[in-house]
Amino acid sequence: MEKWRVIPFELFDSFENMAIDEAIFRAGRQREMSPTLRLYGWESPAVSLGYFQNAEREINCGYCHDRGIDIVRRPTGGRAVLHGDDLTYSLVAGESSRHFSSDIIKTYRIISGCIIRGLEKSGVEAEMVEKGRSGSESAEPFCFAASYRNELLADGKKICGSAQVRAKGMFLQQGSLLMDFDPVAVCAAIITKDAEAKEKALEASVTSIRKSVGDNVGIDTLCRNIAAGFEEVLNIRLIEGRLSPEEETLKDSLLENKYRNAQWNMGRGAKSGH
Amino acid sequence: MSFPNDLVYSREHTWVRIDGDIATVGITDYAQDKLGEILSVELFSEDSPVEQGEPFGVIESLKVTTELISPVSGEIISVNEDLADDVGILNSDSYNTGWMIAVGIRDLEELDNLLDAEAYADYVEEYEEVD
Repeated sequence: MEKWRVIPFELFDSFENMAIDEAIFRAGRQREMSPTLRLYGWESPAVSLGYFQNAEREINCGYCHDRGIDIVRRPTGGRAVLHGDDLTYSLVAGESSRHFSSDIIKTYRIISGCIIRGLEKSGVEAEMVEKGRSGSESAEPFCFAASYRNELLADGKKICGSAQVRAKGMFLQQGSLLMDFDPVAVCAAIITKDAEAKEKALEASVTSIRKSVGDNVGIDTLCRNIAAGFEEVLNIRLIEGRLSPEEETLKDSLLENKYRNAQWNMGRGAKSGH
Repeated sequence: MSFPNDLVYSREHTWVRIDGDIATVGITDYAQDKLGEILSVELFSEDSPVEQGEPFGVIESLKVTTELISPVSGEIISVNEDLADDVGILNSDSYNTGWMIAVGIRDLEELDNLLDAEAYADYVEEYEEVD
């Protein structure tokens, strides 16, 4: 049976979380490695921005600063996510490794299938959305405001948002699975034209583990179930591991040179079609 | 899917138009089709050095963010500024107005690593079969 590495759930600050994911991704690009699943949380609330987003345009930076909410830019694309009440996962694998493919949608679909199984084990019936709004309509800066292709819904509401980056034959997929959801906090942290209307819209279109099954499923149980979802769907065995010395060194360098650097996190004024 | 005969192609799905020691570079029809609707692109600036097989920018579509890999080594002498106004031309006209960068080629022998249209079409077909 194929063995993958799983890095067990732990809380880190936002900058470390991104540096660890990117270190695994970069190290994997340089050598043959088995896929790595990582489950993690956030020591304190943070907003993560998509690679192409710009903090000053999308985020109420003053509000976040006053409340100690970090702002960090991800290596993956997509929209802003408010972290704190979520279980975040990352998966790094070769696009030509046994279970995956160079086809982006197929890869999303496979990973979604594993998470759906994990959610089922937690008592949450989820499904993958294959259709979504087109990009030209999607001016929303906040990830959970939009259901794209291959996002996960429970009771018809979004419960998990994911984004992927690819380079040199490897992919990193990061996803946020909501344990709890506070639309008021989201609308305060992220710039929105009509906060009240947006809060209502989010309340109606986003759900969470707690909304779905109450307090019956804690983070430890959910982690166990998600890991089991991967094992069962892909017929693999997850072996607990930690970062290699090479990955640790890369992480430290990424932390110092990138993720603790405001210039990176605020966005580089990326060129955009919108 | 079209792969014009007057271009050469990389296995990372870029096309190259060679004019003396200048290479104009963009993404292939296959790449734009696989990426789906392209939302943003960020390219290295003029005068930046690039290496064959190394990134020259990042592109984001509705599906994925991916590095753009340079098919040649040299120095960027020009960047397509029109992409800042309308990134949609990468989907609609990837071989012409959707060009990305022009590079002053440092080593013409590296061009031997690239594929002609027929070989690239075969490569894409094999790539699809693996999936």
